[in-house]
Amino acid sequence: MKKLHIVGIIVIAVAIGVIFVSLKNTSTYADFTEAISNPEREYHIVGKLDKNQPQIYDPKINADQFMFTLIDNKGISKQVVLHKSKPQDFEKSEQIVLIGKIEGNEFHANDILMKCPSKYNDGKAQVN
Amino acid sequence: MNNVQYISERLWAGNLGNAFVVLSFVGALLSFFAYYLSSKNNSFIKLARIAFNIHGFAVIGIIGTMFWMLLNHYFEYQYVYQHSNTSMDMKYILSCFWEGQEGSFLLWTFWNIVLGVILKRQLKTGEWEIPVMTVFALVQVFLASMLLGVYLFDYKIGSNPFLLLRDHVDFSNLPFLQKAGMVPAKLDGKGLNPLLMNYWMTIHPPTLFLGFASTLVPFAFAIGALWNKKHTEWQKIALPWTYFCILILGIGILMGGAWAYEALSFGGFWAWDPVENSSLVPWLVIVAAGHTMIINKNKGGSLFTTHFLAIGSFLLVLYSTFLTRSGVLGNASVHAFTDLGMTGQLVLYVLTFIFITVMLLINDKLFRVSYIMASLLILFFGLLYGYKRALLMIWLGSSGMITFIAYYKYFPKEKDEEELYSREFWMFLGSLVFLLSGLIITYFTSIPVINKLFGTQFAPPKVATYNNWMMPFAILIMLLIGAAQFLKYKKTEPKKFFKRISYSFILSLLFGLACSIPLYFLTKSENKSVDTWDLVGYSALLVTGLFAVFANLDYFLMILKGKISKSGAAIAHIGFAMVLIGALISTSKKVTLAKNMVDKKLAALGKDFDDRESILLTQGDTLQMGPYLVSYRGKKREGINIYYTVDYYKLDKNKKPEFDFTLVPLIQNNPRMGQSSAEPDTKHFLDRDVYTHITAADMNMDTITKKKNAFGEAKNYVGHVGDTIFSSNALIIIDSLRSNLTKTQYEKNDSVLEVTAVLRCVNTQAQSFMAYPKFIIKKNVVIPEEDVVDELGIKLVFWKINPDDGTIEITMSEKLSNNKDFIVMKAFVFPYINVLWLGCLIMAFGTGIAVIERIRKFKVQS
Repeated sequence: MKKLHIVGIIVIAVAIGVIFVSLKNTSTYADFTEAISNPEREYHIVGKLDKNQPQIYDPKINADQFMFTLIDNKGISKQVVLHKSKPQDFEKSEQIVLIGKIEGNEFHANDILMKCPSKYNDGKAQVN
Repeated sequence: MNNVQYISERLWAGNLGNAFVVLSFVGALLSFFAYYLSSKNNSFIKLARIAFNIHGFAVIGIIGTMFWMLLNHYFEYQYVYQHSNTSMDMKYILSCFWEGQEGSFLLWTFWNIVLGVILKRQLKTGEWEIPVMTVFALVQVFLASMLLGVYLFDYKIGSNPFLLLRDHVDFSNLPFLQKAGMVPAKLDGKGLNPLLMNYWMTIHPPTLFLGFASTLVPFAFAIGALWNKKHTEWQKIALPWTYFCILILGIGILMGGAWAYEALSFGGFWAWDPVENSSLVPWLVIVAAGHTMIINKNKGGSLFTTHFLAIGSFLLVLYSTFLTRSGVLGNASVHAFTDLGMTGQLVLYVLTFIFITVMLLINDKLFRVSYIMASLLILFFGLLYGYKRALLMIWLGSSGMITFIAYYKYFPKEKDEEELYSREFWMFLGSLVFLLSGLIITYFTSIPVINKLFGTQFAPPKVATYNNWMMPFAILIMLLIGAAQFLKYKKTEPKKFFKRISYSFILSLLFGLACSIPLYFLTKSENKSVDTWDLVGYSALLVTGLFAVFANLDYFLMILKGKISKSGAAIAHIGFAMVLIGALISTSKKVTLAKNMVDKKLAALGKDFDDRESILLTQGDTLQMGPYLVSYRGKKREGINIYYTVDYYKLDKNKKPEFDFTLVPLIQNNPRMGQSSAEPDTKHFLDRDVYTHITAADMNMDTITKKKNAFGEAKNYVGHVGDTIFSSNALIIIDSLRSNLTKTQYEKNDSVLEVTAVLRCVNTQAQSFMAYPKFIIKKNVVIPEEDVVDELGIKLVFWKINPDDGTIEITMSEKLSNNKDFIVMKAFVFPYINVLWLGCLIMAFGTGIAVIERIRKFKVQS
């Protein structure tokens, strides 16, 4: 057997290893129900801001803590503690992705992605 | 679409543009067929060349027409309306041109034409013109079709940049288009995305697209070689082109990093964003290809690998176009382009080129014909009956297997075993490491695609995942870069080799450990999520990175005697090692200046929640932040930007604050993004950068000027003696309650009860002010008597006593002027980030020398 064949086998083994190891550890998109049943695991929760519930952000107490309520895609709402400062234009968001896990009665998120309606295609917006 | 008549529309521009679009497509198609036919009959070659030139002329015509329309504000056209306006600075006209997808496809097409025309001339009358230019023309057919904007049955082919506003789905409902007689003079466009109004954005896209375009050259040669069955000769010609591609694509990627560092609030220069990854991976693969080509040139062999890498790099460019343009990334990326409904088309292009590659790999006629038939059958079945995903996977799987079979059956292979102590063996290994790391990045980036294909729900990986996986590859590549220089082709005396590299290795070990032990092990890292293995990894990368620098420096100075023209490789390798060292130190030793006090309860949640990084700065207050004292001075508005001025002070020898510098981060109320974005400001020092960006701030400019002396909304507090009320500027402690009567006296008597709350108000300078609001009951009617602390601007009203639990209720209101403006910001120090930028320059310089040297050598040979 040639040396390069051994190298080739190692390369393939590493590639397969990466796929398995990463899939085992990777976070998945889910809803609150799944996150509650598995509180140790990190999840990406997709949902909308509940505009009827209060949002608490007091940078004097903690500039890196923002609380609000999210309604996931299945309609379940949950109090969220985001460990970051309140994102600019938060109220405008039409979709939110939270990354974090369930802790007690709250969902603790360490990161947030927001989708805001873009004024890119305003002609479209006016139809609605 | 509607029959309303419009006056003063300059329809000629659109007609001219569309004529050019059609001409460009027809020219490319004609050129492709003529080149293909001239492989059998040489008389077609003239037609092919002319058709290619016509195609090139038409593309320049399209670009010219678009610039004319942009410069003269033809807002009746969708592209002009959507990407420019009259108030913008005309120096950003180039950015307007390539902001949209059609424009960026045109940019790509344009560079392909430039490269194609040069290559056509270089290869004229040689045996390589026909195969190479056939591939070139075919790629141009595909790119030209991206602008057609016609419907074939139900499929939309391309997106036309000369569409009128009133004909565009997204805009045809605009109110001013609903009645006849649109007056374009009054119309103004949407303007350019302000994020792109940055000088990097005028040079980054054309450089990057030139890099993408130049992957086509080695690809075209490799495909041509499979077609011609001449596997070696093309590499000589393609070598300078390949290194040109490495240079330009590399510069383009780094410019993107510089732009992100300067204009986006990623908090760094590399975020493993899908858009960044999809330009990095083709670069990794083309670098690998460049190295196997050198092996082939000096020693022979590595033929299959070179073809595989050269083809792979271009296919990955196509794949990344698909990733970033099809909308498949969705939530995964901050700046993926919107879907223009060309997903199917893009997939088809990628698959077509995979198909052509695999087909050409098969040397057996019967085998080849059955592959073609099977592929077509699968295509039609998929189009007619569905099961597209399953069929796609079957097809991709079998194509992969056929590639493997073709390698064993048809490809010329080396007979003898490679020497262990030879340059080619370790260089080949380095190429494989690059390829493997590229594949892993592609796999991570493709997780949204995997979700689509398999219906899974995996989330895209985090930055840390990428960093952890890439760390061992970086260490390995640094070792290889250092050691392989001292190995000769074919065979090297091991003793001599080890002796030679031991100098550099011992030096880097001493130096590296001397730096990394105090850096990583002795000082307690502020980032608690770092474990010991990470620290070992950092140290190993630092040591091996230094080894790569020292070994190449040794090779450059002692063996090449400092002769620049021969040292392109050594210099580029030093630069690359410096980029990695700079990235390592500035990222792993990134210091968070603005740190909040750690909440113990939250720290218990685990390391993910323990990185408080933001700090509140109230206007006028000065806070300690790392070695600095910072003070927020105020804000001002300029256009859509609001600038927040933050002063930095340092303590001098007498511990007195001394002004150091000012940073002005901004928040942009970007109308195009639908949300405002923060742009950082950075103070550059030789050995570090101080980087600041705003995470939350009041963007309202009016609050400052409103009635300052009015009191704001009153807030009610319930408490006992000893409790504290917080105002924005003081602590209010309920010291005691004094009453003029005892309880029994009050119950017996019908006289006036007067209870005074003794309140001690302590401001931030620890000064105390007393307040005495009174609670008075006269004949069962409560008449509270307020007290105002003028110094603090606080009004206190004591209005209720709850006899059941002994609590009292006080309302507090503050003067509006008390609510000072504030910002919440993050501040980092990036130590030694200049090593990274210097490394970029050195790498570009070294690669540039290599390109020039390769061209010179090629000219001498031929």
